[in-house]
Amino acid sequence: LTPVEQTELLRGTLDMMILKSLALGEMHGLGISRRIEQFTKGTFQVKPGSLFPALHRMEEHGWIASEWGESENNRRAKYYRLTNTGRRQLDAETKRWGRISLAIARALEAS
Amino acid sequence: VKWKEAEMSFLTYLGTLFGKRRKERDLDEELHAYLDLLTEQKIKQGMNPQEARRAAQIELGGVEQVKERVRQERLGTLFENLLQDLRFGLRMLRKNPGFTAVAVLTLALGIGATTSVFSIVDRALFRSLPYYESDRLMSVGVISPDTGGEVLLGSSYLELRDHPGPFESLAPFTPANNANCDLATEHPIRLSCARIGWAFLPTLGVRPLLGRNFSREEDLPNGPKVALISYGVWKGPLGGDPNAVGRTISLDGNPVTVLGVLPSDFEFPNLAHLDVFLPQAIDEAAARRTPLSTVVRVIGRLKPNITPAQATAALQPIFTYSLQDIPAGMLKDLRPSLRPLRDLQLGNTRLAFWVLLGAVTAVFLIACANVANLLLARATNRAEEFAIRASIGAGRARLIRQALTESGLLGLLGGMTGLAFAWALLHLFLSLAPQGIPRLGQATLDTRVLLLAFAASLGSAMLFGLASTPEKPGTPVGHQQTAGSRRTFLRSLFASAQVAISIALLSGAGLLLRTLWNMEKVPLGIQTDNVMTASVLLGKYRYGTPEKQYRFFEDLEERIQQIPGVTAVSLSDSLPPSGAGKARPFSYIKVEGRARTADDDDGTAGWRSVTPGYFTVLGIHIERGRAFEERDRDANQDVVILSSSMARRLFPNEDPLGKRVRFGSVTARSALLDPTGPWLTVVGVAQDVKNSGIVEEPALEFYVPRKRTADDAWDYSTIAIRSSLNPQVLAGWIQQDIASLDPTLPFTMETMKHHVDALEERPRFYAVLLSLFAGIGLLLAAVGIYGVISYVTSRRTYEIGIRMALGAQMTEILRMVIEEGMRLALMGTIIGTIGALMLTRFLSSLLFGVTPHDPLTFCAVIALLLGAALLACYIPARRATKVDPMVALRYE
Repeated sequence: LTPVEQTELLRGTLDMMILKSLALGEMHGLGISRRIEQFTKGTFQVKPGSLFPALHRMEEHGWIASEWGESENNRRAKYYRLTNTGRRQLDAETKRWGRISLAIARALEAS
Repeated sequence: VKWKEAEMSFLTYLGTLFGKRRKERDLDEELHAYLDLLTEQKIKQGMNPQEARRAAQIELGGVEQVKERVRQERLGTLFENLLQDLRFGLRMLRKNPGFTAVAVLTLALGIGATTSVFSIVDRALFRSLPYYESDRLMSVGVISPDTGGEVLLGSSYLELRDHPGPFESLAPFTPANNANCDLATEHPIRLSCARIGWAFLPTLGVRPLLGRNFSREEDLPNGPKVALISYGVWKGPLGGDPNAVGRTISLDGNPVTVLGVLPSDFEFPNLAHLDVFLPQAIDEAAARRTPLSTVVRVIGRLKPNITPAQATAALQPIFTYSLQDIPAGMLKDLRPSLRPLRDLQLGNTRLAFWVLLGAVTAVFLIACANVANLLLARATNRAEEFAIRASIGAGRARLIRQALTESGLLGLLGGMTGLAFAWALLHLFLSLAPQGIPRLGQATLDTRVLLLAFAASLGSAMLFGLASTPEKPGTPVGHQQTAGSRRTFLRSLFASAQVAISIALLSGAGLLLRTLWNMEKVPLGIQTDNVMTASVLLGKYRYGTPEKQYRFFEDLEERIQQIPGVTAVSLSDSLPPSGAGKARPFSYIKVEGRARTADDDDGTAGWRSVTPGYFTVLGIHIERGRAFEERDRDANQDVVILSSSMARRLFPNEDPLGKRVRFGSVTARSALLDPTGPWLTVVGVAQDVKNSGIVEEPALEFYVPRKRTADDAWDYSTIAIRSSLNPQVLAGWIQQDIASLDPTLPFTMETMKHHVDALEERPRFYAVLLSLFAGIGLLLAAVGIYGVISYVTSRRTYEIGIRMALGAQMTEILRMVIEEGMRLALMGTIIGTIGALMLTRFLSSLLFGVTPHDPLTFCAVIALLLGAALLACYIPARRATKVDPMVALRYE
């Protein structure tokens, strides 16, 4: 894989993981990165430098929506939630991902 | 690197367009809230606050850097979406080439026609005239149908000058009217000289480019010989001499000092092309003593905030005064008048231009309705596509954006094609246009109106593009049926409106075409075939005496008669059908041995001075008596020929031959009102001739022979030659003859046929233009009806299938579909006919031989339109009858 393709792959993956983490309920930026860390068992550590651009891009696409709210210990934070469009996007991405990983797994088994 | 910077600054600029500030603040807050949360978390994990803050900042990696990445990402997405929309839009347009072509062409027709016509009329109707506050400038005086503008007798002007009433300032002027002057250089140059009062330029608000205007003292009779010259004369004959002011030039042999040069953009109020401006120098004593000796035109500047109506009311005393010196017989034709300069310049053209503008606006409306119809139709067909796209995740905003991008693309394509079309049309119009339509030469493709038309078409395309997006994108496939009914109503409305507008357009065009046809049919009373004419005006400088003038035309007549192949030659002071050269009020005409009655004074009679060949050359039939003969040209012979209607007027129940009539003086030098003159014996009665234009009633007229004496020497003559020679060959001979007498003499030549045709050129031009627009309108309206009917029919395929399955005959289906379409057409026709009947009366002054409500024209127009509508309905109806019931029932 060339570096460009690598980032493309990662970007798509990141979007999918953000969508997935929001499927559990609305969350602020820091919470999203913590959730991703949790369910990838620390494999993915999402840095704010990639998290925020991704969040804003997805908001622009209409997959997620944001509003200001209060955090657990009464701090102001911006909360993101999945839109209907985003939910469908997550479905599509999940299916696509399933097909790709299946294909890769088969390819690896075959060799 | 430079490019990258430029790109970034462009992006930043674009960013400001999308509520950048609010988003920036939001982003800033968001990042700081993140930092705070992270710090708190780290404190919980056991770091001290300072350490925690530092660690959090390191993890974030710099607020500004994150912000910059977010900004780039956001803009990138924006462009990505836009590009995607554009690509998708183009693909959709390419996928439906028929739809795209019709929509783009319709838009182009609308934009092109509107822009080109607006470019033509804009200069004349809307641009302000090149004078200071030109709205306040008025032409004032009395006006008769024959003269082009308002005139005042000298005495009345002086009265007005002393009691200016509503005017802030006013000034007399006399445009050159055959009063040319010769500038003596190595080769004498023929110039047009006008006379203007000293207050003329200040009233207009124009200052000379060089030098000065003449003073009040220089504008007196016997004052110093001074003149202002046009920019053209300064640059041309005077070679742009920087010391032109103060230079002495020779005009008609008299030394005249140049006082000033007028600016290059100076326009004379009646748009005449003029070269030299001399002081009006009214002889006040003479003007008051013999009021008829001086006639001037007057321009006045109204005081601020006075309307023309108020001014007219205030001027009543002066109008009454100005009419009192005019002979009773001429009063009938005259009326007082005060009108803005623009009206003076445009005359009848003003109405014609408004009609064209109205017509082209109608075409534009039809085009817009058509595009709207197309888009609505497509929206219905694409409802399923939209529903599918919505169900796989496209938001409403995104769908709307997509629809707007597509219709915007359509508008853009239509606009660009329209631009090319406008350019072509404008050039076509200009090449078709006859001479003498005011300001046509200044017409250019107008950017303002192009932008306006562009914006209008883009706007209408986008508006209906918007209307064509489904309201609830989530509506499942197959449930769009009801959404269609609102659109069907809209579409029917548009189609009816198109028909209505087309009816109005077609009736206007029809009436103008009938006018043209009537004009062609008018018997002129002359035979124009095989007649060549040449007009010669002798300059005052080289032909200063009556003897020289007389000698020139004597020689010319003799030479032309010797051209082989010439049947007959005549010299006259004017030629029909463009108005008799001279007129005499009936109050000055006296029949021998008869007492006058008041009725006798009514109106004027035109007269011409002609050589004996005149009647032969023009083929004017002598109904009684004889034509002129050579012996009538003797100075001592006093004979006259009356036109048929003139003979009936003077001698209702008598034989005019041998009777004697006194018309006043009838030689080249006689003034308009010259009561003295010999008794003339009537020797013949000539058939009536259309002598004051094709569309006017034949004026009463009489002919006198042109005498062979210098006392009847004309400085202006028209030579008419009947010959079977090829016109070009004949023209060559005539040219040679004139040149052999005086090689420097300018003259004009045209065939009689061309001379007559020229009078029909303007009506033809307007008729062609209006017919063109009416044709476009009809075509678009037919397309509109076709679109609606085929759409409605396709929606009813299921129903039709059932009907056919139940045993409906083909003809019944055909009738059902056609009836539906014709209902639309009929509704439009009724509304359109009512509208047209109200509108066409504004055309009346452009019509001839046909009333604005001409039943024949209206019937023809309605028949034409209903015929086109029937055809437009028939095609989809026919298709409906081909429906296979089985297929139709499976349609859904």
